[in-house]
Amino acid sequence: MNPRRPLARLLALLRKRHLDVDLEDEIQAHLELAQRDAISRGLSPEKAREEARRRFGAIEQMKEAHRDRRSIRWIEALGKDFRYGLATLSRAPGFTAVIVGVLALGIGGTVAMFGVVDAVLLKSLPFAKPDRIVGVWEAPRPGVVNDTTVPQFFGWERSATVFEALAAEQPVTAALNEKNGPIRLSGDLVTPAYFKVFALTVAFGRNFTPEDGQSGADPVIILSDAAWKSYFGGDAGILHRRLILDGEACQVIGVLPPGAFDRSRIQFWKPLVFTAAQRLSNIHSLTVYGRLRPGITLAQARSQMQAIHAALAQTEPIQERKGTIAVEPLAKLLAGANLQRSISVAFWAVFLVLLIACANTANLLFAQGATRGRELAVRTALGAGRGRLVTQLLTESFALCVLGGVAGVAVAYVLIRLAKPLLSQSLPFTADVRLNLNVLSFAAFVVLGIVLLSGVFPALQASAVNLAQSLKQSVRGPSHAHVRVRRAIVIGELALSLVLVCGAVLLARSFLKLRELDTGIRIENVVTMSIDLPMDAYPTSGKAALFYAALTGRLHSIPGIANVGLSTYLPLQWISNGEAIQVAGAEKLVRVRFKRVDPGYFSTLGIPVLKGRGITGRDRDGTPRIVVINQALEARLVEAGMKDPIGKMVRLSSTDYDGKKPLMLEVQIAGMIRSERTASPGYPDPAVVYVPIAQAPSPHLNVLVRTGEETASVLPAIRQAVREIDPHLPLGNIATMQQIRDETLSPASRPAWLIGAYALIAALLAAIGLFGLISYSVTEQRREIGIRMALGARSTDVLAQVLRRALGMVFISIGLGLLGTFALTRVMASLLYEVSPLDPLSLAAGCASMVLIGLLAAFLPAHRASRLDPAATLREAG
Amino acid sequence: MSAIKAEIPYGTLDLLILKTLKTMGKLHGYAVARRIEQVSGDSFQLSQGSIYPALIRLQQEGWITAEWGTSETSRKVKFYSLTRAGRKQLSVEVANWEKTIAFMARFLEEST
Repeated sequence: MNPRRPLARLLALLRKRHLDVDLEDEIQAHLELAQRDAISRGLSPEKAREEARRRFGAIEQMKEAHRDRRSIRWIEALGKDFRYGLATLSRAPGFTAVIVGVLALGIGGTVAMFGVVDAVLLKSLPFAKPDRIVGVWEAPRPGVVNDTTVPQFFGWERSATVFEALAAEQPVTAALNEKNGPIRLSGDLVTPAYFKVFALTVAFGRNFTPEDGQSGADPVIILSDAAWKSYFGGDAGILHRRLILDGEACQVIGVLPPGAFDRSRIQFWKPLVFTAAQRLSNIHSLTVYGRLRPGITLAQARSQMQAIHAALAQTEPIQERKGTIAVEPLAKLLAGANLQRSISVAFWAVFLVLLIACANTANLLFAQGATRGRELAVRTALGAGRGRLVTQLLTESFALCVLGGVAGVAVAYVLIRLAKPLLSQSLPFTADVRLNLNVLSFAAFVVLGIVLLSGVFPALQASAVNLAQSLKQSVRGPSHAHVRVRRAIVIGELALSLVLVCGAVLLARSFLKLRELDTGIRIENVVTMSIDLPMDAYPTSGKAALFYAALTGRLHSIPGIANVGLSTYLPLQWISNGEAIQVAGAEKLVRVRFKRVDPGYFSTLGIPVLKGRGITGRDRDGTPRIVVINQALEARLVEAGMKDPIGKMVRLSSTDYDGKKPLMLEVQIAGMIRSERTASPGYPDPAVVYVPIAQAPSPHLNVLVRTGEETASVLPAIRQAVREIDPHLPLGNIATMQQIRDETLSPASRPAWLIGAYALIAALLAAIGLFGLISYSVTEQRREIGIRMALGARSTDVLAQVLRRALGMVFISIGLGLLGTFALTRVMASLLYEVSPLDPLSLAAGCASMVLIGLLAAFLPAHRASRLDPAATLREAG
Repeated sequence: MSAIKAEIPYGTLDLLILKTLKTMGKLHGYAVARRIEQVSGDSFQLSQGSIYPALIRLQQEGWITAEWGTSETSRKVKFYSLTRAGRKQLSVEVANWEKTIAFMARFLEEST
């Protein structure tokens, strides 16, 4: 078949007006020419015109034939119906606005959520052959993830043949001194093959070469596109610049193309160069990624890595001999089980709202169909077939849904824009949430689904008009079947919203529990700020110690500041592991998390010393080394065979000032404090050892300040104090402890807010549905109510009767809704903290609120019914 | 009105138009209609208007092209001309038609 003609016919649809004008011109020309011929044959102009017309044939028929030939008529007819539908809708703007608004909310939420689902779960990672990229790490016990040591990494790199490229990464921050003052950049120290793992090459400049990773190589960096544009204005001469990072002049050798990494926190990459000591150290500090060779399966990679691990354990200082080596696809690492669960729960929650919106639309269309009975009956009487009526009604609901869909996509766009900061925080950097083709097709699919779900039944129902009955005024409203369907829809709506409301109440309770969670510290009026001392300005621990002393001294002198503390890790934040305590006589090491703090730390956070003493100003460089332990560590030490550890000596592994050389220190355990929480709920407190920062300085630290009342007012003074000590020092993140607490606890609270908001919308929609149905039936039964009142029923009886009917529906829906809630127990359990998914109090609260909503929705129509004037209704109906 | 004359046989109008355009070159609609009437020697009845639906179809198939121009009487008219594909199509249709005629002739002969 020649494809030209169907295409031409489709095009003709669009050029209809032009083609019609063309044809009209042509007919005129034809008639004029024919007339001239006839005149030249001797006819009078009048006669000639008649002759021309006669020989031409029926003009209008020809035009129709022409249109039939050139175009696709049924589409044209559909277009006409669609325009007619829009006209009908514009005659009832209130009705249209309500439906379109409700649909827009439902569709908008669902489409926006689908955008997230698409970006995180459906789309493959934005790298070439993304399924080949894997993460590799040591898993000594199931669920435990160990970073990789340098000897391990080199061992893997030497022996593994399953990888095309294997690279290690270690996060770093650096101060960049630019004209406008110092800024802090986040970067990754990486081994040279890093970008090969992600199959990325620089947009210009050059990639890292193996030589860049040799010790003694000139320091070089690659910038992300975002960093290049925002810090250097997209300067084309960037490759000729040396940037001073922590005092080290680094040559910029390349800039990455725009892409996924622009959404990550990483702004530059620098080759990891290892010192001789690091090559032997067993500090677990590297994150390792690899690109599998084509054809290598995960199982093959795992078994080879296992063999390599076993061989390495013989020759290298590896502590965890028993564990396995995990090789997992990057996609799985980025979208972990928790994230997947949160996303799918949020998606189904919005989807429920969409279903309710859909039911509401169907309900309104039913109501509208009933009021249009006469119009449809007239059209039937004029000869319109039932199919024609159904098509027209469906086209109308199609027009409605398309309007709702367009508005919904706009809502989705706005939602995604608004949620951008939140999304970039909680989604992996590879997820780019936008309204792409996938998402838009999903939206189109949803609109079609809604047309079918909400349009077909009302259209069939409304078109099944009984001609004679409808035309007679006496008809007492639509059939019982009609009311039954509407009742079923409203009950469904109520049940679905009960599921959402119960979920929201459960999540809210869990959220409250989290808020009350005892973190073991006082966080009111505490501000924190991170500081990273550049190695060039502070090359020795002595210099750093001087800085601490100067800083705490100055901060103490600021009026309004009550306490000042320093620590390497913030409270409520995870402390990385890797260090251990050796108890004399015990074979096994006790793994500890290592936190350097100053004397002010415990008092600033209100952490009590339970045994022995805390850290004091006398614990300086040169005085005997001491440590303070937490309760969890005491328990571990006792387990390891140490009776009453306070006052005893132990050996503690550690690293030196710049974190490169491992040390083994003899320390005395001076005291024990009450455990502070260091991570998300659900994890037991880890064993923590607190080391006086004056005895073991670190260039990376956080300042904690407790103020009298207003925290914000002292911030400028704090900045000023830091600037006075060192004007080149960039200030790091400033946050209140409350913010940090919220961050630690928020993964659990985010879906709570979302579902809470949607539960509210759902309940509102269901209430509107119930209100609509009860008002409708009260109007329909005016006469019956009038008779009853005339026979002596009091208005309270009528009120009670209407409310009873509404409550009947609410109770059925509560039954159904609770069944739904029970079905979702397993999903909910994973989102709740210390609240059972069947928590009777929450479920009761959910049901009670539904009853309340039902009563509120029914009260207005019930009240109206009870105020009916029996005489008037009887006269009107009679 | 004038149902005395025979209608043009169904399906032959396309062939007539293509053939006309091949013989006469570029023509406007009225001229095509006149030419067909003249050749048929008024033995067939043609509503002149009926050529237009046929013309649009042939145009959509890509067998003829149309362009606006001026007639000998300086009237703005649409001219049609045969395309290369149209020439090919014409030979195909002529061959088909000849086969049909031969078959019909044989069939009618045998049946009588």
